[in-house]
Amino acid sequence: MSVFFLYPAFLIGLAAASLPILIHLLNRRRLQRIQFPAVRFILLSQKRISRSYRLRHWLLLALRTLAVVLLVLLLANPIFQTGAGLFAGGGPVAAVVILDNSLSMRWSGDGNGFKQAKEAARLLISALNDGDRAALLPTNISGKETFRLKGQRDVLLRDLDAIEIADGTANLAAALDKAYELLSEPAGQKEIRLITDMGLTGWDQFSIAALKRVDPSVPVKLIHVGRKEQPLNAGIKEIRLAGPGVGVNLPLNIEATLSNFSDREVKDVLVQLSIGGQSKEQKLVSVPPKGEASVNFQARVGQSGAQAGQVSLKKEGLAGNAVANFTIDAQDKLRVLVVDGDPQTALVQSESFFLSRALNPGGERDSSLFLPTVIVPDGLNAAALDSYQLVILCNVATLPEAFVANLQNFVRQGGGLLIFAGDKFQPASYNQKLSQSVPAEVREKKIGPEASGEKIAKLDLTHPALQGFTDPILLESLKSTRVWGYLRASPRGKSALISLANGDPLVLEQRVGAGKVILITTTADRDWSDLPLKTAFLPLLQTLAQHLAGGKRGHFDAGIDVGAAKEISLPPALVGKSLRVTKPNKQATEVPIAGEKTRAVATIADNELAGVYRLSLSAGAEKESGAPQLYAVNPPFLESRLEEISAAELQAKLAPVRAEVIPIDALKEGGKRTDLALPLLALLILTLFLESWLGQRF
Amino acid sequence: MEPMADGDKNYFDPKVLAGIANLYLRARWVVEGMLSGIHRSRAKGFSVEFEEHREYSPGDEIRRIDWKALGKFDRYFIKEYEDETNLRAYLLLDASASMNYASDGITKFDYACTLTASLAYLILRQQDAAGVVTFSNRIENFIPPRAKRDYLTQILHALENRGPGGETDVGRILDDIAGQIKRRGLIVLVSDLLDEPAAILKGLRQFRFKGNDVIVFHLLDPAELNLPFDGNILFEDLEAASLQVITDPRAIRATYQQVVQEFINDMRKQCHDNAIDYQLISTATPLDQALASYLSWRG
Repeated sequence: MSVFFLYPAFLIGLAAASLPILIHLLNRRRLQRIQFPAVRFILLSQKRISRSYRLRHWLLLALRTLAVVLLVLLLANPIFQTGAGLFAGGGPVAAVVILDNSLSMRWSGDGNGFKQAKEAARLLISALNDGDRAALLPTNISGKETFRLKGQRDVLLRDLDAIEIADGTANLAAALDKAYELLSEPAGQKEIRLITDMGLTGWDQFSIAALKRVDPSVPVKLIHVGRKEQPLNAGIKEIRLAGPGVGVNLPLNIEATLSNFSDREVKDVLVQLSIGGQSKEQKLVSVPPKGEASVNFQARVGQSGAQAGQVSLKKEGLAGNAVANFTIDAQDKLRVLVVDGDPQTALVQSESFFLSRALNPGGERDSSLFLPTVIVPDGLNAAALDSYQLVILCNVATLPEAFVANLQNFVRQGGGLLIFAGDKFQPASYNQKLSQSVPAEVREKKIGPEASGEKIAKLDLTHPALQGFTDPILLESLKSTRVWGYLRASPRGKSALISLANGDPLVLEQRVGAGKVILITTTADRDWSDLPLKTAFLPLLQTLAQHLAGGKRGHFDAGIDVGAAKEISLPPALVGKSLRVTKPNKQATEVPIAGEKTRAVATIADNELAGVYRLSLSAGAEKESGAPQLYAVNPPFLESRLEEISAAELQAKLAPVRAEVIPIDALKEGGKRTDLALPLLALLILTLFLESWLGQRF
Repeated sequence: MEPMADGDKNYFDPKVLAGIANLYLRARWVVEGMLSGIHRSRAKGFSVEFEEHREYSPGDEIRRIDWKALGKFDRYFIKEYEDETNLRAYLLLDASASMNYASDGITKFDYACTLTASLAYLILRQQDAAGVVTFSNRIENFIPPRAKRDYLTQILHALENRGPGGETDVGRILDDIAGQIKRRGLIVLVSDLLDEPAAILKGLRQFRFKGNDVIVFHLLDPAELNLPFDGNILFEDLEAASLQVITDPRAIRATYQQVVQEFINDMRKQCHDNAIDYQLISTATPLDQALASYLSWRG
């Protein structure tokens, strides 16, 4: 039950209510003096009528003040309203109905929240009178959409039918901003109704300061979709890759973290991992009240390339987002081109013997992440470097001119290069031809007796490729290595990753464009060191190879939140072209590829649907571009939290806009509006009549 | 007889009279105008010597027996001479400050002076004796009655040399004057009577007690009767400056008129009860009405 005004601006006229009093006071001050003989008769008269005169005087003043107040109120046109206020009667209305279609509405109202909210919106729209105009806004808007006030109820109801529950958090600021923009047009009576579950997450992100325009004279009435009882409420907080990478037929370790928002334990929830539409593993998990639990899955991916997967929860009556999508790009094999600069008839004596076995220990196709191909330097010119992720030069004396250009281009575009020294290695040739790529200026060879070899003394364990050597066994193994032959080198940039006891560098690294180059100053075989015989050799070589292969490794992506932008890096050659994005609902859009410094970038902003988005370039160029072919979009984790903001906090957040919270049931009970203009007019006429009558009696 | 050339004018209109500075001219204008008009026939009787007969009673002088009448009526009549039967009129003029009020045109005092002068002119013209007493809270001027025609000059002089001022104390003054008048006659009081009614009546009864005839001309300005003002007004008393009141006349007008009417009615009744002629005169009233009331008494 409330009273509001159609034209509240007129209320400023209430100040005029003081006019009769001011005039009265001014008159008192503006006295006329008259000399008169019969003052005693005046005194006598005054004494006789004193009481009634004063009464009439004040009554007249009160009537005049009342008349001014009534006139002002009449101009402001007050409306008396009972109930929650349907738009019934009381003059033309310009209204904006905001329908909260955030994901949390799916679980509000004991599972029927969104349905109840739509019914409430339908009730409000149906209550519009001819001449009223309204707009219907969902809360999952970006602010760029076009809305307008409409007078046709049937059109508005069709708009309502088209609103579906969204996968994201309510963008309340954008919706209210749009509402105030729509209501900035002149209108008699302006109203904003927000039908919402008052989810804490949406309101946590809301700030009234973010609104471009606010009109405190237009209050916000919140129609609250509540619930009778607190449901079990949990969600998937995080999915992450627990293992080293994603390779075909290699163990894939994925860890999911579940969060319980309720005060009760969530018992025996079934958590399932699916990849490529196939269920890989299921587990039963219990999550403590207000606590978290982790679930580890191990699976194998049978084929290479991009695939979508998801972790899902299954439990009767569990409220909260039950599905989290992710994408993987399973790496088939890291193709490694090994150039053996000193091939021998007996394989074991070849420069590349230990190295190729370290990369592919089983010698079978599917047992290792690496697929080495060994060639001799004569074949360098014919080698198609694009099909490799890493090139390893083992004791190669010198490089053909034509190959040098290919190699430099290969590295700049993200390829890896690993150089081993040896007796055939010609430092001058490398210094000249690969001066921009080799991480050090290579000088003379230093070869001593095997017995007096230098030990490895210093490792940069912070380097991504060497982090595995924090294991004491591996570290001990590496440090026990003896190096009796090596190239002396002067690092061009950073210090060496691994150094010998005498301080000479053993492993040096340099970035070149998008790729990396590592120089190992000793041999890949046993000619100058015993490293190939050490336990540490295999992990060292594999981690260095993986590190050098860089972005071309297998990939796990837990995805982005609904509404966030996805940025895709692409080769510079694609600038000006477009990237085709196919949404989970099969709708496709073209996203332009823009240039940004040395790379090309496609920014995908429209990620409003949860699910897997597919990317493609024309003519299947995406495979060569190295760009991801899939990415996942998930509902924001906190949208699963069904906690509500309190009415007081909400009102504080909306200040200076007045906010009123109305239970949705109150809306159903309806309401009635009465225009008070006519009764006020009658009262004004009566007041003026009384004033006139009383005034004449003076 | 047309007293003045300007025949369209109402010669008794107080506003017209206010334009005539000379009191003699005013008095003459009024009286001659009136006598030449409505009361011309009655004026005839005044121009001849007047005498009266009464039956002889023992003790009367024998020489004053009218023998002609004895021949006619076979009874003894005594002839009374003019001197003994002449009227002695005391014109008492209130000259207090309250008389110096005019809402429009002539002040009460001017009106009263004109009325007094006119009466004196009329009385002297009839060869009666007229005297004037002006007073405020004391006797300002006392001109004893004489029947000489040129006595009017003296009376007018006394009226003209006296402006209104001072507080009224009619009751006490009437007592004083009553004490000074030895021979009975006609007492004409011209006053606004803005004093204690009881005191005024007490004074008037003194005159009656001594066998005087009394006429009261109660002179009031129309504004005093109606209080025709608007707005918030500070009323200051003309006689007592300390007596002030702020009021909106519209609010009290009806009551005021009622209060004034009650006062007038009370005065009229009291006068009637004491055989005193009472005449309420508004200064907006033409002067002939006031004179007519005198003449009706004299008649």
